Amino acid sequence: MEHRHLLPDEIDLLVDGEEGFGVAPLRAHVEHCAQCSTELARQRRLVGALERLPHLEPSPLFAYRVMSQVQVFEPWYVTALDSLQRFVPRSRPAKVLAGVSAGIVCVTLTLATLWIGSRLDVAVFFLNVLVQRIQSGAAALAGSLVTSILGQGAADTLLASGVMGVTLAATGLLLTILLAAVLLRAVATAAHRRRS
Amino acid sequence: MAPPLDLTNLPDADVVALARKGRESAFRELIRRYERPVFSLIFRMVRDRETAEDLAQDTFIKVLNHLDKYRPEFRLSSWLFKIANNVAIDHLRKRQIETVSIDGSPHAATAAEVEATSFDVVARQESALEELEARELGTAIERAIAALRPEYRACILLRHVEGRSYEEIAATLDLPLGTVKTYIHRARHQLREALGGERE
Repeated sequence: MEHRHLLPDEIDLLVDGEEGFGVAPLRAHVEHCAQCSTELARQRRLVGALERLPHLEPSPLFAYRVMSQVQVFEPWYVTALDSLQRFVPRSRPAKVLAGVSAGIVCVTLTLATLWIGSRLDVAVFFLNVLVQRIQSGAAALAGSLVTSILGQGAADTLLASGVMGVTLAATGLLLTILLAAVLLRAVATAAHRRRS
Repeated sequence: MAPPLDLTNLPDADVVALARKGRESAFRELIRRYERPVFSLIFRMVRDRETAEDLAQDTFIKVLNHLDKYRPEFRLSSWLFKIANNVAIDHLRKRQIETVSIDGSPHAATAAEVEATSFDVVARQESALEELEARELGTAIERAIAALRPEYRACILLRHVEGRSYEEIAATLDLPLGTVKTYIHRARHQLREALGGERE
């Protein structure tokens, strides 16, 4: 090291402030060699000048312009949590009160569920009643619909044909609706193509 | 509506996590943190304010629209600089092709054809924006940086303006570590040469 000047890579090591076993002899050399010392000082001045270069600023509308093209998408669970948080009071006493109320509701619902579970026969009975009511209501509604659209005669024929007849009629109706939708879509697509 | 959050002290990874949850303020915070470094890097690469703004805008749009691909074990800034460097290099390559066409068609066989297919760039009066650019990039060291090869320029700017380690620069620019060291060494050498007659 005493017999030669530092290589460019070795100067780089000193400029970068590297630490390590091999750097100590380089430092020792620089202390005694005027040429290497001058070279190192020049390099350090250059690096200092580079490090002092400022960050330049874009126009004030930069962030606005970027945001206008960024898709901000809120996942459903975040939306749900936000909605829930809106119902949580801000003050501590109100939070405690809301917590106690929610606890009471939970306990009541749990007890009610357990009671219904222990009286399963009663629950099944009420469920059957409910289902029958819904069935008779739906049948009456469908009957009045068919009567008002197709007339009393068609309604009587449909009722006389039994479950099979009703199923066939419903399937036919669904297929007709589906076919109409497909045809309408085809017409709309063709019109769109013609326009473009 | 979610309550306003103070994001200024949060690490990048947390701000990104909030942005992924659709918090617009988190997107704005990321832009606020990096608009100047990213714009500076691109401006010093392309040396045109308007183009640099467009390219910086593209960089942010690419990154912010694909935050789901961000892996928190890496620095967000490295990803941003990588995209910024790529868009700047792409622009410089395209500009190089366009510059050739100004000089005349590359398919021209004779001098007359070259003349017929070339056109003069009309000298324009310097606008206020250009004056600003000249002030911003007009110092001797900025001019010396501009004269470097784009690869050297990106390396030296990341090393000394952004304070990145050699390893980070290698990862950011997808270059081998040895190449980064060589580029920075050569860039410093060229800068010293360019600034030789002036005070550094």
